[in-house]
Parts: sequence; C-alpha cells; structure tokens
Amino acid sequence: MKKSVIETLLSSLDNSLRWTGIPARVADEMADGPSVDRRQRPLRWTPIWPIAFSVALVMLSLLWPPALMSSMGVATWVMAPALGSGICAIAPAIYAFGPLGKSSLEDDERESALRKDSFLFCLGLLAVLNCLGQPLLMILAVFEHWEPAHSASVLGSVLMLNGTLFGSLPTLYASWKLSSLSKE
Amino acid sequence: MSLYNRISVFRAEQGISRRQLAEAVGVNNQTIGYLERGDYKPSLELAMKIARHFGVAVEVLFSFDRFESIAMTLKRAGEDE
Repeated sequence: MKKSVIETLLSSLDNSLRWTGIPARVADEMADGPSVDRRQRPLRWTPIWPIAFSVALVMLSLLWPPALMSSMGVATWVMAPALGSGICAIAPAIYAFGPLGKSSLEDDERESALRKDSFLFCLGLLAVLNCLGQPLLMILAVFEHWEPAHSASVLGSVLMLNGTLFGSLPTLYASWKLSSLSKE
Repeated sequence: MSLYNRISVFRAEQGISRRQLAEAVGVNNQTIGYLERGDYKPSLELAMKIARHFGVAVEVLFSFDRFESIAMTLKRAGEDE
C-alpha cells in the first residue's frame, strides 16, 4: 500500500516534470537528427517580470516597518518571500528557454560573442549596483537605526535581486540584441 | 566602420541555401543571415572560409565601401563592350 502511494507520488512528480517540456527537449537535442532547428528564441519581455518583482521586494523590505505594520502589510510580508522565491526559481527556466539556453559547446563565433557580451553586461551592471548599493545600505542601516531583523530582510531581498539579475539579465540583453531574421 | 558583403549575391548565384552555406563553413545558419544583413562582422577565419567556399578572394566578398549594384555593374560592362 505504502509502495503504491510512493509510486504514485513519484509518477506524478515525473509527470509534472514532463509537463515542463524539458525532458522532450533534451531527448530531441540528443537525437541524431533534432526535429527542431537550433533557432534562438528571444525572450524580450519575460525576464523583466522576475526582475521587477525582485526590485519590488527590495523596495518593500526597505519600507519596513511603517508600511508593513498594518494587517494588509503583514500579509504582504508573509507572502513576499514565498513570491520572491518562486520568481527566483523562474530565472533558470528563463535562461534555459532563452537565446543563451543551449550548451556553449555548440556555439559558433557569433553566438559565443553574444554570450560573452551578455554576461559582461550583466556582471558589469551587478558590480556597479553592488559597489554603489552596499555602502548606501550600510549608511542607511547606521543612520536609520535599523533593527537586526530589518537588516536581515533587506539583505535577503538584495541577495534575491542579485540572483534574479544574474539569472535573467543576460537573457534579456541577448534577446534585445538579436533582431529577427526573415525566413528564406 | 561598416563592413559590406556580397554573400547573398554569391549564394543566390550558386543556388545554395543559408543552411547549406552554414554547414559548409561550420556555423549556425542564423549567423549567415546576420552576416548577410551586416548585423555581424565575421572573424578573419570565417570570412576566409566563406571566400574559399565560393572560390573567390576575401576582398571580392567583403569591403569597407558599399558595393556597386548589379544593375550598375552590368551597365558598365555593356558600355565597355
């Protein structure tokens, strides 16, 4: 009885993974003659959503506690980490289905140049944001007398923003850099 | 500096698709599309591979100056004769 429950659970997990389409895509790309062309799929708008949510989460954590002391605010604060974690989990999927999603071993010279440019842009922007943001947050923490819990929430949300930016920004940059090609 | 090319002209003349040319020179067929449109400047290696595939010198395929239109070339050739 127990075994069948476990089997059901495992098979439903398998089914949920199949639903994403990733196993089919991997099997197709490993086949001798892939059914689909290696066309890059620009995702020009999708990566903006997780970035926007992560920025909103940072803003929300900075507004602690006045904006969050109401019952509505507390509910939002409880929901925010769950929402943020979900959004961060989307970032790898965005990367996998975007123009940089395929293995870098298959890149030709244009694709590897695009990959390099995208990550340089992303890492450059992250370096600038962190170099400016970290001292600013430290100053704010000192002068605004933040509680440890407040500091921890800001730190957590900033970490989440860093992860989301690293996961989504290269795809966003590459997608906007790629203009659409007419079919022959 | 812009780099102009005549890949599409040579490709049309030889009747080969982007995919065939891409396979011959070892790149993705989208790269040939971006090259033809001038959105990507090839490396020397790729430029020479494409030129070798068409059996011409690199400067016949690529130029820093805009290429003369086929109509003008034909007109000039007619006048020379």
